[in-house]
Amino acid sequence: MTIAILLIIAAALGLIFILGVTLSRSLQISAGAGLARQIKPIDIEAFRNLVDPAEDEYLRRRLPTPEFRLVRRKRLRAMAAYVQAARRNADILVRVGQAALAASDAPTAEAARRLVDNALLLRRNAVFALLRIYIPLAWPNSGLAATGVLCRYEQLNGSAMLLGRLQNPAVPVRISATL
Amino acid sequence: MLQAHSSLWHYLWVAPNILLFLLAFLMWRRGLHRKYPVFFTFSFVAAIGQLILYAADMMPWVSAEAFWHVLWSGLVVEAFVKFFLIGELFAHIFGPYPSLAKLGKVLIRGIGAVLVFIATVAAALSPVSNSHVIVSGPHLLEQTIYLIESGLLLSIFLFSAYFRLSSERTSLGICFGLAVSAFIHLATWAFAANNSSRQVSVWLDFINMVTYHVCVLIWFYYLLVPREVTTKSAVPLPENNLDVWNRELERLVHP
Repeated sequence: MTIAILLIIAAALGLIFILGVTLSRSLQISAGAGLARQIKPIDIEAFRNLVDPAEDEYLRRRLPTPEFRLVRRKRLRAMAAYVQAARRNADILVRVGQAALAASDAPTAEAARRLVDNALLLRRNAVFALLRIYIPLAWPNSGLAATGVLCRYEQLNGSAMLLGRLQNPAVPVRISATL
Repeated sequence: MLQAHSSLWHYLWVAPNILLFLLAFLMWRRGLHRKYPVFFTFSFVAAIGQLILYAADMMPWVSAEAFWHVLWSGLVVEAFVKFFLIGELFAHIFGPYPSLAKLGKVLIRGIGAVLVFIATVAAALSPVSNSHVIVSGPHLLEQTIYLIESGLLLSIFLFSAYFRLSSERTSLGICFGLAVSAFIHLATWAFAANNSSRQVSVWLDFINMVTYHVCVLIWFYYLLVPREVTTKSAVPLPENNLDVWNRELERLVHP
């Protein structure tokens, strides 16, 4: 009977979850100005500096080991915050792009599809990047590579710019401006 | 009312399958069978399977053993079609995004393997509800099939929820109906596989039949009722220091 109870509880929880997802998808309001305004600006250069292995190497050489670990942890936490912010922006861009997918003209729809695909890839990369950030947080002497996210974020900016241009040629790069 | 062979019981067994046939016909008329070939096949297979089973139950010359054989066969065929249908839904939801399709395939295979293992363990641990294997077997088989099906559908919902994907309405509707059916059947079959009471078994049959009817109506709604078309205005994008940002981004993309 225990196995039956477990399966019934699992089924009930699963049902509640899919009902929630389906309702939220059905009630989802199409992306508007409010949504685009939620995009948080990210200082991409500061992030580049944080993920630069040469910077880490320089700090490793210049600082005593305990101090280096302390600084490295702070840098890793900052890096995680950047990745989280990029992931949140990607969420918003997925919604903006999906709203634009219904556009009647093919170039806008194609740009939107590319934007959504890039944003999804960024979300996927962000998961792995966060894993690679949190592991060195426990062992600050280990290596790290979040450069994939950086590269993807740059591509995402490009896609958002293209979509912005296609949607509103008069005001070409407004979406990317908020990034 | 809640008795086997009552009017409600006859209605709940026959009506959803007639409706499913009608849905398949309307899909064919509207050309939807080309977009969802497996769901189209599923509509036919599930409806025919259930109607044959109903006929086997009603005809006095069909022996009890023959009835259970028909049920076994229908179950196995329907299970195969359902797993292909899950594959079709997966392709519809994640296929347009190459960045997710590859990862999704790997994940779904891994999850499938884990689910088969869990379902096997659950079946092995479940007590035999009837001394005749031909009767208790389908209960366990249904529990196993619905456990794997529920897990796969849940992973599709989890995956699309994590990536904030607003799936295409029709795929979402088919997936939703299939998931509702799978979860409720999983719960009832898990209960049935562990309970031998005749009355409880009849009530569980009613729950399953009502669920199936509701799911057929869900599929009708999502496949045939057109989406409310709203006039979309261009997304007003926020004012910003775009010149500065554009220069910075260009410099970053092309250092």
